[in-house]
Amino acid sequence: MTVPGPGRRRGVGLLPYALVSPVVLFIIGLALVPAVFTVVQSFYRVDALDPPTRFDGFGNFVRLAHDKAVVGSIGNTALYVLVGTVLSTVLGIAAAVVLHKPFRGRSVVIAVLILPWALPGVVEGILWTGIYDPNAGLVNGVLSSLHLGGSGVLLGENRLVTIALIELVQVWQIMPLSALLVLAALQLIPDELYEAAEIDGCGAWSAFLHITLPLARPGIAVAMVQALIMTLNVFDQPYVLNGAASTGASITEQTYFISFQDLDFGQGYALSLSVTIATLLISLIVVKFVYRRVDL
Amino acid sequence: MRRRAGRWRWVGVGLILLWSLVPIYWALKSSFQTEADARATPVRYVPTNPTLQNFRTLLAGDSDVSDQIRRSAVNIVVECTLATVVTVVLATLAAFAFARMRFRGSRILFYSVLATMAFPAYTTLIPLYRIMSSFELVNTYTGIVLVYVSGFLPLATWVLHNYFAGLPASIEEAGRVDGATRLQVLWYLVLPLARPGIISTALITFLFAWAQFLFPLVLSSDLSTQPLTVVIASLQGRHVVPFTLLNAAGVLAIVVPAFIALAFNRYIVNGLLAGSTK
Repeated sequence: MTVPGPGRRRGVGLLPYALVSPVVLFIIGLALVPAVFTVVQSFYRVDALDPPTRFDGFGNFVRLAHDKAVVGSIGNTALYVLVGTVLSTVLGIAAAVVLHKPFRGRSVVIAVLILPWALPGVVEGILWTGIYDPNAGLVNGVLSSLHLGGSGVLLGENRLVTIALIELVQVWQIMPLSALLVLAALQLIPDELYEAAEIDGCGAWSAFLHITLPLARPGIAVAMVQALIMTLNVFDQPYVLNGAASTGASITEQTYFISFQDLDFGQGYALSLSVTIATLLISLIVVKFVYRRVDL
Repeated sequence: MRRRAGRWRWVGVGLILLWSLVPIYWALKSSFQTEADARATPVRYVPTNPTLQNFRTLLAGDSDVSDQIRRSAVNIVVECTLATVVTVVLATLAAFAFARMRFRGSRILFYSVLATMAFPAYTTLIPLYRIMSSFELVNTYTGIVLVYVSGFLPLATWVLHNYFAGLPASIEEAGRVDGATRLQVLWYLVLPLARPGIISTALITFLFAWAQFLFPLVLSSDLSTQPLTVVIASLQGRHVVPFTLLNAAGVLAIVVPAFIALAFNRYIVNGLLAGSTK
């Protein structure tokens, strides 16, 4: 906080504007203007193969609703979101509980924990292609060593299995951040609470249910929102692991195909807008139901 | 009771380490095998006859694939470095003003910068492509870096704002009393104190840039600007590149981010927490 003093009148008043203007110009030009573009152009027919650009009301949305691939990708994405948010939150809480109390080597474990977060999703797709490979893969190698099932687990055969396997790769990437966020919330819980609970004869599991979970809610809410945003927009992992196959195509993949392969930008805008609105709504709902201000 | 809890913790620690490291180990193992060894049944869990042939092919070979890997490795380093430098410099200036100066409209400007973080990144994919293409910036470093910077600025500004806001005001006041200008205060007094925050921001921005895929997939059309991530995905999509070579390429693409994550994890953890809480 600076006190507004005579300095302001001496012309220092322009300095803050000079300092913030590059960032503000970037945001206006390359975030806000494009966002407005997306909203407005959703209601226009913008098709490189069908010019000119013209107003089309809800035409794009109607065509999207009748497109089997789009409807299928909405179902797929719902599954990605469900599997990904649940798994990354549960695993994130579990990892945070393991790392809650200090022990020798904890910082090394945290460094290894965040490693998958730091790697590009595309390359993680390549890494896991090796794990899932029908012949040379780790999963099917272990399965056949144990004489469990001949052909093993395959990508692309069954929709649910495919989506679960692909989403596991994304969970590998986003769980570390969930764990860190929950861990940060756990660090704020005073030890005395656990000591008091132990004196009262409260077991570890019951302390987890009645102390850890409720007091970690702010961290859990933020972790869930980040997982939701990431999974609703999943692209890299299904693109690499499953290509253009419709078995597991996500909405973002479908947006990419519609816009940059079919060159129907209008429908692409409409689909992006729908995903954005869905993301904001679902995030708000999670914050409303999971987030609680915790006063300690 | 306490000893039992300790044993469970080590089980948990073991599971965390396995979960993070097994997929990386598997790619490393495959990258040191010949194609025949990697495809042998039953599956070989360790490279019994390790070979550097895959890495030699990628780094020193004269095939099409080696050219693509080498050029795209240069591209990704150039794009990530430029995007990081521009993002950190601009975000530092703005965050300092937002955290330390009072001026009309500061609140609304600050919140509009932050509000764009709520949009999913891909909301603006198509309009950004069309803007870049109307300025003929598709398939240029400039176009890609501009898009990266616009995407990373809100988080960088937020993290740095929190660092600056947490520094004691007395330091600046002392500098002002001694007759230093605002910019001298920023340069000589505030920046050295905010160094951990600036390093965190730079590392996280660099990692974000390194991980980009869909934006460069759309914004770069050939090898003159395609980063490693785009080239690796296209090699995988062609199904003719050997499995072990693909894994070696994957290993090359994770060396830099893995090193950053392991060597500077404290900065990254602090930066991530400063950015996503409060």
